[in-house]
Amino acid sequence: MEPTHLTPISRRQLFQRTGYGIGGLALASLLQEDSFGAEKRQDPLAPRPTHFPAKAKNVIYIHLVGGPSHLDLYDFKPELQKRNGELCPAELFEGKRFAFIRSRPKLLGTPDLKDYRFEQSGDSGATISNLMPHLQTVADELCFIKSLHTEEFNHAPAQLFMQTGFGRFGRPSLGSWVSYGLGSENRNLPSFVVLITGQMLGAGSAAWGSGFLPTIYQGIEFRSQGDPVLYLSNPKGIDGHSRRRVVDAVNQLNQATLADVGDPEIATRINQYEMAYRMQSSVPELMDIQSEPEEIHQMYGTEPGKATFANNCLLARRMVERGVRFVQLFDQGWDTHNNVFNRLPTKTKQVDQPLAALIKDLKQRGLLDETLVVWSSEFGRTSMAQGRTNLDKPTNSPGRDHQKDAFTVWLAGGGVKGGMTVGASDELGYKVAERPVHVHDLNATLLHLLGINHERLTFRHQGRQYRLTDVEGHVVREIIS
Amino acid sequence: MIRRQLPRTFHLPRMASLLILAILAGFTSSLQAEKLPAVNATEEDAGTDPTAISFEHDIQPLLRRHCYRCHGEKASEGGIRLSQKESALGTGDSEMPLVVAGKPDESYLLTRLTDDSWGEVMPLDAEPLSKDEIALLRTWIDQGAKWPESLATDRHWAYTKPTKHEPPQVQKKSWIQNPIDNFVLSRLEEEGLKPSPQADKARLIRRASLSLTGLPPSVEEVEAFLQDDSPDAYEKVVDRLLKSKHFGERWARHWLDLARYADSNGYQADQLRDIWAYRDWVIRAFNEDLPYDEFTIEQLAGDLLPNATAPQKIATGFHRTTTCNVEAGVHPEENRVNQVFDRVNTTGTVFLGTTMECAQCHDHKYDPFSQKEYYQLFAYFNNTPLEVKQDAGVQYDFVGPSMMLPLSEEQLTTYETLSLKKEKLEKVLEQKKTSQMKNYAKWREEVTAALKTNPAAWEAKKPESFQSNGGESHKILKDDSVLISGSLPDTSIYEVRFPGPLKSVLGFKLEALTHPDLPGTGPGRGDEERPNFVLNEFTVKVENEKGMAEPVELFSAEADFSQRKYDISQAIDGNRRTAWAIGPQFFKPHWATFRTEEPFEIAEGETLVIQLDQNFGRGRTIGRFRLSFLQGSPMTAGISEEVSKLLVKKKKLSTKQENQVKKFYQNSNPELRDLFVEQTQLQREMDAIQPPTTLVMVEMEECRSTQVLNRGNYLDKGDEVQPDTPSILHSLDSDLPKNRLGLAKWLTSPDNPLIARVAVNRWWAEIFGQGIVRTPEDFGTQSEPPTHPELLDWLAVDFMENDWSLKALLKKIVMSSTFQQSSQVTPQKLRLDPENRLLSRGPRFRLPAEAIRDNALVISGLFSDEMYGPPIMPYQPDGIWKALGRNQPKWVTAIDNDRFRRGVYIVWKRAAPYPSLINFDAPDRASCTVQRPRTNTPLQALTLLNDPVYAEMALALAQRMMREAPEETQESRIIRGFQLCVARKPTAQEMEILKQVFANERQKLAKNPELVKQRIQNLLPRLRDPDLSEEELAAWFIVANVLLNLDEAMNL
Repeated sequence: MEPTHLTPISRRQLFQRTGYGIGGLALASLLQEDSFGAEKRQDPLAPRPTHFPAKAKNVIYIHLVGGPSHLDLYDFKPELQKRNGELCPAELFEGKRFAFIRSRPKLLGTPDLKDYRFEQSGDSGATISNLMPHLQTVADELCFIKSLHTEEFNHAPAQLFMQTGFGRFGRPSLGSWVSYGLGSENRNLPSFVVLITGQMLGAGSAAWGSGFLPTIYQGIEFRSQGDPVLYLSNPKGIDGHSRRRVVDAVNQLNQATLADVGDPEIATRINQYEMAYRMQSSVPELMDIQSEPEEIHQMYGTEPGKATFANNCLLARRMVERGVRFVQLFDQGWDTHNNVFNRLPTKTKQVDQPLAALIKDLKQRGLLDETLVVWSSEFGRTSMAQGRTNLDKPTNSPGRDHQKDAFTVWLAGGGVKGGMTVGASDELGYKVAERPVHVHDLNATLLHLLGINHERLTFRHQGRQYRLTDVEGHVVREIIS
Repeated sequence: MIRRQLPRTFHLPRMASLLILAILAGFTSSLQAEKLPAVNATEEDAGTDPTAISFEHDIQPLLRRHCYRCHGEKASEGGIRLSQKESALGTGDSEMPLVVAGKPDESYLLTRLTDDSWGEVMPLDAEPLSKDEIALLRTWIDQGAKWPESLATDRHWAYTKPTKHEPPQVQKKSWIQNPIDNFVLSRLEEEGLKPSPQADKARLIRRASLSLTGLPPSVEEVEAFLQDDSPDAYEKVVDRLLKSKHFGERWARHWLDLARYADSNGYQADQLRDIWAYRDWVIRAFNEDLPYDEFTIEQLAGDLLPNATAPQKIATGFHRTTTCNVEAGVHPEENRVNQVFDRVNTTGTVFLGTTMECAQCHDHKYDPFSQKEYYQLFAYFNNTPLEVKQDAGVQYDFVGPSMMLPLSEEQLTTYETLSLKKEKLEKVLEQKKTSQMKNYAKWREEVTAALKTNPAAWEAKKPESFQSNGGESHKILKDDSVLISGSLPDTSIYEVRFPGPLKSVLGFKLEALTHPDLPGTGPGRGDEERPNFVLNEFTVKVENEKGMAEPVELFSAEADFSQRKYDISQAIDGNRRTAWAIGPQFFKPHWATFRTEEPFEIAEGETLVIQLDQNFGRGRTIGRFRLSFLQGSPMTAGISEEVSKLLVKKKKLSTKQENQVKKFYQNSNPELRDLFVEQTQLQREMDAIQPPTTLVMVEMEECRSTQVLNRGNYLDKGDEVQPDTPSILHSLDSDLPKNRLGLAKWLTSPDNPLIARVAVNRWWAEIFGQGIVRTPEDFGTQSEPPTHPELLDWLAVDFMENDWSLKALLKKIVMSSTFQQSSQVTPQKLRLDPENRLLSRGPRFRLPAEAIRDNALVISGLFSDEMYGPPIMPYQPDGIWKALGRNQPKWVTAIDNDRFRRGVYIVWKRAAPYPSLINFDAPDRASCTVQRPRTNTPLQALTLLNDPVYAEMALALAQRMMREAPEETQESRIIRGFQLCVARKPTAQEMEILKQVFANERQKLAKNPELVKQRIQNLLPRLRDPDLSEEELAAWFIVANVLLNLDEAMNL
């Protein structure tokens, strides 16, 4: 028979075993600070109270990597369509900086063809392109911000800016701030999980890194090939029983050390070995989407065993169900410098159905109220065509450059008003015309929905209290239900 | 919750009662803790109303920010210094009381900030104070204008030069090994704490070994130390460790975090770069104990030293480790400015313990550094060249200065051999040239005649048919060119057919032409911005009536233009991965010609088939092309147009023109041509011996002018500034040059109040797990005050007095009784000194990432002590370097000794660093890291339990236990394994647990031969010991897996 399983050591047991008495240790753990000046947390992922009642508990943040063309998906501009092929007004070009455009470009309207037309969808009449027919069916759940603007126009810096509020390396990501602020309600899974389809994004793992926050708050990438979490499976020849035996022996020996040395970190280590052991079964269970009923696969368009966006949407729902606080999806392939009208449909086909399914599925399970879904990217795309193409024929495959001064994101669920649109870009979709929303404002709003005051979620580093929103950020209050 | 300091007068009862209050109030999260006023900020603040305003945190920063510029240490307009309590609570020239406690309305300070009837509202020429700030001042005055005596002057301690205090007297004199102990013990005695007893010898030698070299002691070293009863036994161990070559590797690992050393550029492309010679320089510098002042100077300005040596130049890699963005569309100047920011900020952090970054956009809020002073420092670093260059179109490349490393002995020998060979060959070449020239006149005459009668000429041919495998449409135009349209496949092979007969064909010409219908007018089809094409292969064959084809060999490819690395010769090299392309010369026609060795004929009924193979992808195919044939007298065929023009000229040629013809003639001789080829080949081999390179700093001849960048925006330039140092710090010797060398010498001046304190504190933190100042990255006014300020100063001055020697410093630290204490935590100590801030016990903390792996490698016996050289690739899971970045190199897992070398040599790719190191808190090295966090996570457990790297080590350790145990008993083997892992012998309880594991596994494996086989595979076959029983080994493997996961094994 196998030896008795050890349960994770409780604090009570710890006090008894080490003979310090509850008061002593409680005081000790409160007195402890970690090495960066923040409060030492005996369990850094223990759930923590919010600043005020939260609207959302979890976030599914979808970052479409490369910059989808907001103009051809959500922010329809008849005027741009009308003036297609005209040289752009001088003020749109002169003195501006672009990643690729170097000479005065022509305006590029959405083609007036059936597939690319916009539909007034839902009761709210939100404009959504026919490229996203499924999304049109959940229009009344979506809250569009059409006046978002950012400060960087190259991919990697803009991705960092979007995720960390700073255009260079070294700052914590949104998800890690949320983990730090709220902790985790799940003890078998990480609190911040990242899922990727397509190539790695330019900013690399810094986009979900923890910057100067303790590394325990960084996003953990769940991979679609090999072990979903690195080093999850046992070495060759070690089966479940032997693994359990190893963990038991390690923990028994560590308890002996704890009794001898008295370092409370050892108690934490014992608990982490237990959690690692639990993850060895909870993660494969989570990742096994095969167990979902057929109608769910139909709904999402999932293909078990493959690395698809649809699979990741379904996984995101499964994670939220299991209490993962922050799920982040990255999907590469939206950087349409050329051939935008042929490449967009390929991409929208991959994401449209699963996105709509995710929202419907969360709703039917009563999870949408507490789960905030975000469609976002590092920037949008220019109202002007990139290159020398003659724009008379769509077959000439024009593209769009990076645009930082106005683009569109949407939020759904999690305490956001559905069927709403905030802000507007100008008639050419080039810059903000109404109600500008900065990236810092968006991030302040996301934190607010989670019950966090973005000015009070701080971490002391290099002699300063840092926050995600730097010294800026105003909550976009009108979207909160 | 206790955010800032452990006050010197640390009274537990008060702290405890505050805490209990806090707990009762529900302040259990740090989020909420942020609301708390700084309860512990100063003695005066303590115990008062929690809404009380803190002078230190609320008022002084505000005064500093808005007022000091004219009323601070540097200026006292109107006789007022608001940085000094006495002056600020006095009157100044106006004789009006500035601050009247409890009476804001009578306080002239407030009046001048709000009421313009007394003159222009303060501050002059600057943003007025906000309403909130005024309100804050008002409340503070209203509450009594409390100004703690400890802050009576705003001269922050860290900006005053350290002095060596007399070590304090202590009661327990017998405990003192050196002055460090006086400072520590005196404080302990003050707090009523006793030091811990000395650690047992086994634990002590393990601690000293890991602390100084990052590697554990061998069982023999432990034994020898246990046996050695001489009074200097420990000192001998310490001296041996300080001399170990592994010392440099261990301290380099720490320094390279500061230097943000990595082997790739970071950002989107994240290409690998060569700068490992800098890493090796750091290792050698620590091993040689290069004095820290020289160590600093060489890294910041080695290139500017008189007669700089190669190592001194290599040292400047310190500031070439910055990230570099080469993604398409980047603006090179913006990238450069960001790099200079990084250099200034890193210099400030590493050598001054100062966060300069804040002053990039505005005057520093808390510390006395102005924005102007920031850009004065910036000016020192503003004279290196751009590091991003626009290559072709919107492609950008990483450039910037690098240097070659000196050649090795062996390379030098080879180089000399080749060079001699080449010399000989060139002699022969000269002779041949001379003899061939004898026939020159005759050749010249004949060829000129042929040129006049039947010159070979190019003629365009209309194709009989066009086909492609990409499904495009096409049209043959009037000029015989083919225009492609319709669908745009990623890749395509065009096939064009010409019917026989054709006479005396000597060559083919391919013209790639533009057309208004093509994107951007072509000549490529894929992209209107960069209409390039990529022709991988140009092939010709002759097909007979039966459809049998015979290839025609082609030679001497020429083109009007070839893109870099896409030379025309690659279109006929038979390799489908190389090609001809024309970037960035888009939007215009191009041509290429290919020759046949012999003239050939095509008979009636035969067909000439030409294929254009374009498999690059993304539609990089030709949009319009035309084919021409070269036909005529073969003698004239090889003659370039230019030479033939010269030959038929009636006028006598100039010497230069005649030489051109001669050179052509020489090249046309096959024997000579072979010699030329051989010559080129030798040159190539010699070039291949070119030593590796490393990135270095090089100053441009002409200095850039430097301006203040408003809000840090590189396009928004303000006033011009000159290189200079911050005025709050020691003065700059006017003899010093106004360049990086001058700055480095200023930094390393013994008058610098910061450099030694900052360095000593960082190294102290490496040994004890935390610094004397617990914010090692920041010594500014917002830093935590030192727990032992006099000790810090004593160490700093002593360090400078001992020729800035790290080894001397470390020896003092590890020889102290303080270091040698047992790390046991008693309940009393946990209560009175929970975090060991008072050093009432020895250090105990989890090893840094690299040391976790290095330690296990040594324990397992797999460790390779090979040093230096290009980075290594030990095992990592597949897919970590997945399609990311440009020219992506593959991860090739080492199966030789590289697999087992120290972590400091593992290739560091910023976008995807080595994952098991990341799990143990290694940074991504994109920016300067002073202190790694130290977390305790389930991923760490998974790594040590399951990473095949650790499984391999476990099996190797199991073999060692079986082979090296003095007796072939279970106990003996367990003791051996235990000693290898933690230096000591197991207790009876520990022995019992491990024996049980072994027994259970043995039992299980007896029934499971399959598991045995699988377990054995965890080690490389060449390392398996065939003499050991596999079944037994497989059981010991589990015991070893346990041992490598012990908390004690991963802790100091």
